Amino acid sequence: MTTQGLIAPVTEPLWRIRLRLAWRGLTANWRLFKENPIGLIGLGIILFFALMALAHPVLMATVWETRVYDPIIGYDDQIAVHPAPPSARHPLGTDPLGRDVLSQLLYSTRSEFALGLLAALVSVVVATAVGAMAAYFGGIIDTIFMRIADVVLMLPFIAVLIVLTALLRFELIHLAIVYGVLVGFGGQTIVVKSQALSIKIKPFIEAARVAGGGHWHIIATHMLPNLLPLAFLYMMLTATNAIFAEAVLSYFGLLNIRMSWGIMLNTARVSGYLLAGPDYFHLIIPAGAAISLLCSAFYLVGRAMDEVVNPRLRKR
Amino acid sequence: MADTVLSVQNLTMHYTTRKGDVSAVDDVSFDLEKGQALGLVGESGCGKTSVAISLIRLLPENARILGGHIYLDGTDILALSEPEVLKIRWTGISMVFQGAMNALNPVYRVGDQIVEALQTHFPDKSRAESREIVERLFRVVELDAAMIDRYPHEFSGGMRQRAIIAMALSCDPQVIVADEPTTALDVIVQDGILKELREIQDELDMAMIYISHDIAVIAEVSDRIGVMYAGRMAELSDTVTVFRQPRHPYTYALMSAFPSIKGPKRKLATLPGEPPDLLEPPPGCRFHPRCPRATAECRKVPPAFEDLGGDHFVACYHPIEESNG
Amino acid sequence: MAKYVARRLIQVAVTLVVFQTLLFVILDAQPGDITNLYLMNPKVTPEARDMIRANLGLDRPPLERYVQWMRNALTGNLGVSFMHWPRSVVDVVLERAPRTIFLFVSAQLLSFTIGFVLGKQLAWRRGTPFEYGNTIIGVLFYTVFTPWFGLMMLIIFGLWLKILPVGKFLDPMLWRQSQYSDVTANTVFYGLIATGLLIGLITAVLLIATRNVIGKKQRNLRAAGLAVLGVVAVVAWALSGIGVLALDMLHHMVLPLIVYTLVTYAGSMLLMRNTMLETLGEDYVMAAKAKGLSDKVVRDRHAARNALLPVLTFLVINLPFALSGGIITESVFSWEGMGLTLLQAVQNEDIPLAMGALSVIGILALIAHLVADVMYAFLDPRIRYE
Repeated sequence: MTTQGLIAPVTEPLWRIRLRLAWRGLTANWRLFKENPIGLIGLGIILFFALMALAHPVLMATVWETRVYDPIIGYDDQIAVHPAPPSARHPLGTDPLGRDVLSQLLYSTRSEFALGLLAALVSVVVATAVGAMAAYFGGIIDTIFMRIADVVLMLPFIAVLIVLTALLRFELIHLAIVYGVLVGFGGQTIVVKSQALSIKIKPFIEAARVAGGGHWHIIATHMLPNLLPLAFLYMMLTATNAIFAEAVLSYFGLLNIRMSWGIMLNTARVSGYLLAGPDYFHLIIPAGAAISLLCSAFYLVGRAMDEVVNPRLRKR
Repeated sequence: MADTVLSVQNLTMHYTTRKGDVSAVDDVSFDLEKGQALGLVGESGCGKTSVAISLIRLLPENARILGGHIYLDGTDILALSEPEVLKIRWTGISMVFQGAMNALNPVYRVGDQIVEALQTHFPDKSRAESREIVERLFRVVELDAAMIDRYPHEFSGGMRQRAIIAMALSCDPQVIVADEPTTALDVIVQDGILKELREIQDELDMAMIYISHDIAVIAEVSDRIGVMYAGRMAELSDTVTVFRQPRHPYTYALMSAFPSIKGPKRKLATLPGEPPDLLEPPPGCRFHPRCPRATAECRKVPPAFEDLGGDHFVACYHPIEESNG
Repeated sequence: MAKYVARRLIQVAVTLVVFQTLLFVILDAQPGDITNLYLMNPKVTPEARDMIRANLGLDRPPLERYVQWMRNALTGNLGVSFMHWPRSVVDVVLERAPRTIFLFVSAQLLSFTIGFVLGKQLAWRRGTPFEYGNTIIGVLFYTVFTPWFGLMMLIIFGLWLKILPVGKFLDPMLWRQSQYSDVTANTVFYGLIATGLLIGLITAVLLIATRNVIGKKQRNLRAAGLAVLGVVAVVAWALSGIGVLALDMLHHMVLPLIVYTLVTYAGSMLLMRNTMLETLGEDYVMAAKAKGLSDKVVRDRHAARNALLPVLTFLVINLPFALSGGIITESVFSWEGMGLTLLQAVQNEDIPLAMGALSVIGILALIAHLVADVMYAFLDPRIRYE
């Protein structure tokens, strides 16, 4: 007896099928994500900031003259006293060095995004690599990585970063990578490793092995899709924390960055305008609000992802 | 009816899900007498567990009882207020849960959890009195009294089940509902538990409702059997009759599916098709898509659940004829 | 139980060794002679520099340096601070430590309690505006930029309303008065910490002793016990003569405490909500309801008690991040604890002090981790028997 006639021959190319399945998985996850308004709010805020980031080069190319509106070296000599309060010319006023606050705000958005996403990416790559290696090799390598993870877990990152800034000159990209690596070796690795281990022993892996799948093929087509939503969740959280960390370090003047929201607050601080009263609020409120909002946006998206990843939390 | 302890009449209940309303229990009726054991049997999703949780009104948030009455000793449970329901839980009807592995809270001692039930319903009893009761209960279910102060994870599966039974007995209920009491246990332990339940029931003249998909288990412990299908009760009669003289086509198919060790060899009879989707149940009799005897009448109006003689209830327009032997 | 604690202690020791080694690696990776940094400091004589060089073993091969470093760490020799020359690092850090401990522990307790209570409510009232509202508010506070938020609070409460002090942890004018002249800040801090510990201990004993009492009687007993405890504490302080100083310190602590709590409570609140939702789906919750227990009892005694455990784990894992938050808070409010010390050390390039402060912060984190683990074993009987 053959199976002829009972099973319809597969006519679609394999990649097309895989794509369709992946797309279906994505839309299913999106539907779950959509259910929670919190995630959508977060996404909305992120989009808003993305628009802000895009707006800056457009404005600089069209409406704003470089001499006055450059966020780092601009200076408005038409106004006598800096920092100047908000006006038609400067919607958010100017800072103690005569630079337009709105321009600074928009300009920094780009680097904040870059920082957050780069750190997130690095951390996921590191965690996946280390976790997979620990799961695959086991033994002494596993132990070493887990001991390192223990130490990383107990370190207050900000404190370590603070000390590191004393020893090294940090620019934005250095911070992103260092932060990503630090996070990558920590708790995420342990989760990835346990996920990898649990998937490794699942029956369908053995089935795939029996059907002739190579080791890397199995990891790529079976383990990774299961790890993706979780990885995405962690990326959101790492992005939040990275942006926050940069802002703190910049605020205390420990970083070698030319312009960021944290630097804006630092400028206000060292010029003595922090506690100077409502007239100077334009120096502290926009930057502080921006940091808070972007961080909360990533965090909200991460939380909504939590419901997608953990089925027990979903409503019926 | 002599000594009817529980009378369920036209119970109807549905769940509200993202995809729509699931009609889980539809117009189910049965009576239970003191000292009697009723077995509810059926496939997964036939509504037997839903009936069980409706009895003590332990419904999840998305469930709603649409109609019917549940008379416990004359009082309609469905008409009671929330605080009143709390009172009859455990003292009127108690449950032995499905997958009793997890019915005990892992962070509290087993004895304490039974005492909790006692103290809730009999707050005048002192702790010492309650403890004595627990010791007595443990003896009844043949558990070592030293285990009273142990934690659930220190019990084996069978021991945990016995502890659950002890807990169910603690407030002297009128009815005990055992939902798949032995499903998670191995066969030998299963046998022991079933024997014990039967003994306890006889000793205490307890009314019991057993729920299982395993008809062998049900046959062993029940005086009467109710066969459920797709949220409705298809047939209800005493055990022997259900086995020897099933009159509903579904029951008949179920019984035929069991190969007999002693009987003549024959081909394994199976029932083609699947139980219906309760989101959109078929009109009329819910079994008609799979029934070899279905006619136009069956497809339009659901058949009434009627007594065909001798307390043998069937819901069918074309019940199988009575035969001899 | 004892075996479990012993095993954890060994783990802590191993982690400490790895930690110190990592610190050494970071420090040693610096190009050049670290004592060159001292060149700028007029207080440091060339002889002193030589002494430091010898102490750190800078003129010897790396392995010997490493051994020297570990030996130093074990004997508590963390070097000499530049900023506070000639005081040793250990001296400076230990002076600042009690202030951090007091603020941090109180803040963590408050934050966790609020998070726990609210999280329970959120799970129970899932899908209501209450849940959404609280979640959003919680997240907003959680992700707000701490220095900025602290600043806003300072402005509102310190400058405008003038009801809370603007910084530091004590009012020098008050302390300079003659009758207090020989009382140091740390004395009062130690006193406060001791009081806190005693209250904590006695409360724990009270809770354990009354755990088998049922219902209203239990609530009344516990409330009465806590009230008596509170009165005794207040009276003891009043009679000690330095009660006013303690009050002053507590007054200064209010704002940092509030800020820190607001910025962190959502973490435990949201997690509590999640774990409650998971726990509420468990069989034993349904069994408890079937037994006729009221919703409140089911929620608190059965569900919450189990949901508590992962939240505790979270707290432990989150400790370092919480410590970071503590550092930031200290800096904003000029609360002279170890966080501020760390920051000032780095800003002034006082490397020994910075490393020393980091070491001690790390050790404190480990100790807190150990304490939390023991508490967890106490609450979850399944762990004790591993």
